[in-house]
Amino acid sequence: MKFYTLLGVAFATSLLVVSCKKDKNDTTPTVATTDQVVLKIEHTWDDSLEFALGEDLVHPVTGDTLNFTTFKYYISNIRLKNADGTWWTQPNSYFLLDLTAGITASVTLSNVPKGEYTDVEYVLGVDSTMNVSGAQSGDLSPALDMFWSWNSGYIMLKAEGTCPNSSMGSFTYHLGGFTGSNSVVQTNTHNFVGNSLSVTGNGACQIHLTAAPQALWSTIGAVDNVSMVHMPGASAKTIASDFYNSFEFEHIHE
Amino acid sequence: MNKITHLSQCKLLIVFAVGSLLVSCKKPKIEKAEPWGFNQEAYFPQPVYTFANNKQSYERFQLGAALFFDPILSSDSTISCETCHAQTHAFSGHNTPVSQGVGGALGTRNSPAIFNLAWSPAFMWDGGINHIEVMPIGPITNPVEMNETLAHVVTKLKNSEKYRKLFKKAYGTEQITDQLLLKALAQYLVMIISDNSKYDKVRRGETVYTATEQAGYDLFVQKCSQCHTEPLFTDYSYHNNGLDATFTNDLGRAHITQLPEDEGKFKVPTLRNVAKTYPYMHDGRFFTLNQVLDHYVSGIQHSATLDPILESGIPLTGLEKQQLIAFLKTLTDYDLLNNAWLFQPSF
Repeated sequence: MKFYTLLGVAFATSLLVVSCKKDKNDTTPTVATTDQVVLKIEHTWDDSLEFALGEDLVHPVTGDTLNFTTFKYYISNIRLKNADGTWWTQPNSYFLLDLTAGITASVTLSNVPKGEYTDVEYVLGVDSTMNVSGAQSGDLSPALDMFWSWNSGYIMLKAEGTCPNSSMGSFTYHLGGFTGSNSVVQTNTHNFVGNSLSVTGNGACQIHLTAAPQALWSTIGAVDNVSMVHMPGASAKTIASDFYNSFEFEHIHE
Repeated sequence: MNKITHLSQCKLLIVFAVGSLLVSCKKPKIEKAEPWGFNQEAYFPQPVYTFANNKQSYERFQLGAALFFDPILSSDSTISCETCHAQTHAFSGHNTPVSQGVGGALGTRNSPAIFNLAWSPAFMWDGGINHIEVMPIGPITNPVEMNETLAHVVTKLKNSEKYRKLFKKAYGTEQITDQLLLKALAQYLVMIISDNSKYDKVRRGETVYTATEQAGYDLFVQKCSQCHTEPLFTDYSYHNNGLDATFTNDLGRAHITQLPEDEGKFKVPTLRNVAKTYPYMHDGRFFTLNQVLDHYVSGIQHSATLDPILESGIPLTGLEKQQLIAFLKTLTDYDLLNNAWLFQPSF
């Protein structure tokens, strides 16, 4: 058995010598040095009501009745802080979270090096570079109705629905902007409050966050005050920031 | 200017490259050896387009050309890019003041001449679009232009055997995506280059101006070149050139920036091929170069955002106007209007 293996290795090696392939054949069995970590964001309404799309939700402060038909936003550039102070960054980390699929959004971070992690960092929105770099693919495809055709840039958060308290009968928030004071791109960091996430290879690591869509109206108040935003500007900045600031660390699983 | 010659050279080089493959073990680098692709006159500035992110090939260019001429991009298959950007008009509209889209819908602005786009830092009269690859999304999705969705265009292309083959040839995959569609269109667009007008030939020392043209050029340098900077004949800045005193019809640049100081400002259009791209201005209000010059001489409307250098207009005598127009006509690039390799592909 061993002999045949060796023979095989020798044959493979000889192939390497006569072929021009650059990749080195690593014959030692690889032990996984990485694992996946799942980031979960649960969207909550208030103590008495679960958040849901397609249901009447009464805003606890303004009293408006809100029925969401769309809630989508971008999360990107996800990083984990190792206990030794270094950061691991997920490459090509752009995700469009669409709550039509459920009120808990999940992002899988793959190939996270084993180790102890103390913080998670992420960007809400899409960084300016990706807003000016032409046609993208995957979750950044401009065909996903999250890209402005006439004023280039991503709609980073799209919340739409009906609201009988608004004179328009609806709310439409298309929030974006990536330059200067109009930028709605925000970085959030959460410490695991004294705990550390041990990425050991068991495939069970999870980080749980919560976010509160009711925060869209924290500053603007009643829907009737601002019922439609469809371009970058002060309103987009205010509404997006209020929602982004509602993200809280909940707990970790190992 | 010599793209046709390049093609035959290209074939020779491919034969050579394939031959050298047989004796060497190196990965074939046909793409590197291929002369197909963007090249520019020495007196042109560096392009702003990042070619590295969209490696050029003749197959990709041809795919882009096929898409450019194909009304499949519009909701009712009546409007192609070429409808409002015709080669015979230096890739501008068919002499209509504003664009006409599906079902006869009228746009609000004049179709600009789309050449030398690799140098353009922003697109549209208001500069709202920031990259050539996402530029076609504007007209494709605009209800008064092609009135389509990117996703539906992709579905239609996927259902087309012709396009499955063309994408396979160009990108090695039949998995058609909106990204590949947009990158292919960019491959065609960046190759629409105007650099062989009489102006260019004079600049390269191949010919000389007539006395009238020379006088016109001297006037141009003195009175127009602040914004219509050589050799692209635009500096891509935004100005209010005094067409109107109020801007209720079209806020221009302010539509994008939301800044009051940008109201009534529009991107400086290139003057290359200007004799072939009438009517003029963002709304196509002037049909002759004479009318345009008369506007600058005596038609300036005053407003808060009017460009300061136009406060008193641009004084020109009748003779000076004739001279200036004689020079502007040297900016017509007949190669651009006639080059067969920019024609609609026969497949």
